Amino acid sequence: MSDHHLSIKTGLLFLIILLGSLAETPAKTLELYTPFTKISVPPGETVNYPIDIINHDSITRNCTIYVSGLSSKWEYSLRADGWNINEVAVLPGEKKTITLQVVVPFEINKGNYNFRIIAGNLTVMPLSINVSQKGTLRTEFTSDQVNMQGHTASTFTFRTQLKNFTGEKQSFALSSVVPQGWSVIFKPNYQQATSVEIEPNQSKEISIEVKPPHTIKAGKYTIPVSASTGSTSALLNLEVDITGNYSIELTTPTGLLSSSIIAGKQKKIDLTIRNSGSTDLHDIQVNSSKPQGWEVSFEPDSIPIIPAGEAMTIVATVKAYEKAIPGDYTIGFNAQTPETKSNISYRLSVKTSLLWGWLGIIILLGTTGGIIFLFRKYGRR
Amino acid sequence: MNCIIVFLKEDPKMKIKNTDKLRYAFRAIVFKEMGDHFRNKRMLILFGIILLTCIGSLYTAISGLKNATPAEETESSFFFLKLFTLSDGTLPAYFVFISFLGPLLGIGLGFDTINSEQNKGTLSRMLAQPIPRDYVLNAKFTAALLVIAILFFSLSFLVIGAGLIALSIPPTAEEFMRIMCFTFVSVIYVALWLNLSVYFSVCFRQPTTAALAGIAVWLFFTVFAPLLINLILKTLEPSPYAPPYSQYAFQQFQFAIIQLIPNELYSQATSTLLMPTIRNLGPLTIEQIQGAIPGPLPLGQSILIVWPQLTGMIAVTMACFILSYLRFMRKEIRSR
Repeated sequence: MSDHHLSIKTGLLFLIILLGSLAETPAKTLELYTPFTKISVPPGETVNYPIDIINHDSITRNCTIYVSGLSSKWEYSLRADGWNINEVAVLPGEKKTITLQVVVPFEINKGNYNFRIIAGNLTVMPLSINVSQKGTLRTEFTSDQVNMQGHTASTFTFRTQLKNFTGEKQSFALSSVVPQGWSVIFKPNYQQATSVEIEPNQSKEISIEVKPPHTIKAGKYTIPVSASTGSTSALLNLEVDITGNYSIELTTPTGLLSSSIIAGKQKKIDLTIRNSGSTDLHDIQVNSSKPQGWEVSFEPDSIPIIPAGEAMTIVATVKAYEKAIPGDYTIGFNAQTPETKSNISYRLSVKTSLLWGWLGIIILLGTTGGIIFLFRKYGRR
Repeated sequence: MNCIIVFLKEDPKMKIKNTDKLRYAFRAIVFKEMGDHFRNKRMLILFGIILLTCIGSLYTAISGLKNATPAEETESSFFFLKLFTLSDGTLPAYFVFISFLGPLLGIGLGFDTINSEQNKGTLSRMLAQPIPRDYVLNAKFTAALLVIAILFFSLSFLVIGAGLIALSIPPTAEEFMRIMCFTFVSVIYVALWLNLSVYFSVCFRQPTTAALAGIAVWLFFTVFAPLLINLILKTLEPSPYAPPYSQYAFQQFQFAIIQLIPNELYSQATSTLLMPTIRNLGPLTIEQIQGAIPGPLPLGQSILIVWPQLTGMIAVTMACFILSYLRFMRKEIRSR
């Protein structure tokens, strides 16, 4: 009997202790509250939870507060009055409101994501976010024609599409890394621009104009262009095939573009034709623009080929008009191929022939001779 | 003249060669004549007139240049030569003045060379000395030429000096050479008129007649010859609808006939020498102008352009000298 009594006594004691311990449980002293505990959002969305922290106790409760159960891809913050909150203290019988901001990542699978807000060891509030669709960060930068061919003076215009597969409107910065001398221009809406905004799941045509440097050698060049935002980027490699430029340079061996000539006489002028381009020049014709009465001939007057970087010398024979007045005249020399041409204006300073001068000297000598003759005849030295 | 005679008589070195003695005598006559010229009041008046015109033209040129300075490039446009050619309209330019007054100077220096000596009776006394007869004429001509040369070169250097002070830009070597050539041509031009008046002084016994004859020729070429030439040209002028070759021929004829006037020869020669941008004097065809770019000529080319004019002037001067020489050598000179 006494044993039985004792067991009842101990059972009662245990119950009292249990009840007492229940009355002392922290869940009753601090409460977390937010109205919408399950929210359905698309990827990339930001969710703001207003969270009330209510103190049911008769003393001020101070506890740490944090979020648990969200993977590192998620961004979240607890804020109140503009501060980031790590610990919160609530007066007895009062409540404090803080805000939880959760950013749903772009790249995420569809489904339920549960997490908890934990206030120290006092209370826990489970929350749930339902991602309504599969999210992605994919951006597509494509072109139907990524390879183009042309010479150095041409402009390569690529038509590209930029597709935004993310769930949000994105502002893409357009950029390219090219060696010095290249010029890459992006034209999203027929206007030169450095960034473009694209709505989710929309695409935009961007034309890219690429200009190679003037002095570039023939060959294939890759131009990487990229469209990027803070979170996503897409790269497209454009290929430019330079066929080489056509450039001809007409000058004289010394570079001096002036000379003198006697009216009615011939003068040989050396001319240098230099292929300053990066491809061979074929079928070079030389001609001149000259004043009336002048004659210009070239030896030879056409050259079948000049390899790239090489130079040829030809001889121009200029015959001045016999009635040309003394002073400067200009003659234009012109070298051309079907692709390119070069011309110089050559300044010829005409000198008159001394023929009439000698005639005058003879007249003067004649009269002087006459005077000497008279001196001899009448002088009687 | 008496002192020359004494000098020639009292030649102390009897052993000196004959040619040396003669050269000595020639030099003595030249210096004596030059001294006469410089002491002569008539010459001082003529020099004064020329000096005044020179100063006047220089003043207008400098005042004109000061206005023109900012707009024009000094180096390329032969700035210094403008001292001789620029005029603001109030006074003619220096070289125009010389073409007008130069003949007067020449006539003034030469019209009484022989006849006044003859009238005074000193000529026969001089010729009695042991010197060749032509030495008298040659020495008198040389003396007058030297006086002209001294006058013109000093005037040119005066202008250069005044220009240096007023503009503080030195002339370039080419500009200086052009100025010297211009001065040389001026001397030849005045020598032409000098020879003409010497010829008249041999021809006419009265100095006044010789002077008037010289002035008549001068007036003829300055006033009447242009009128006469205009008259001839008016009658010969082709209609505006005439074929181009006859128009061209007429232009060439006009250019040729104008050159009969010595003043015209002088002004063509000097303007080409003083303005390097002048490239041609006669008429031009379109073929000649095409392709030509304006620019100054080198001095040699400028001289070649005016070479016919220069030759003509020198030849006419020499021809006048030959005439007066012949006339003088054949002249009967008797003591009064």
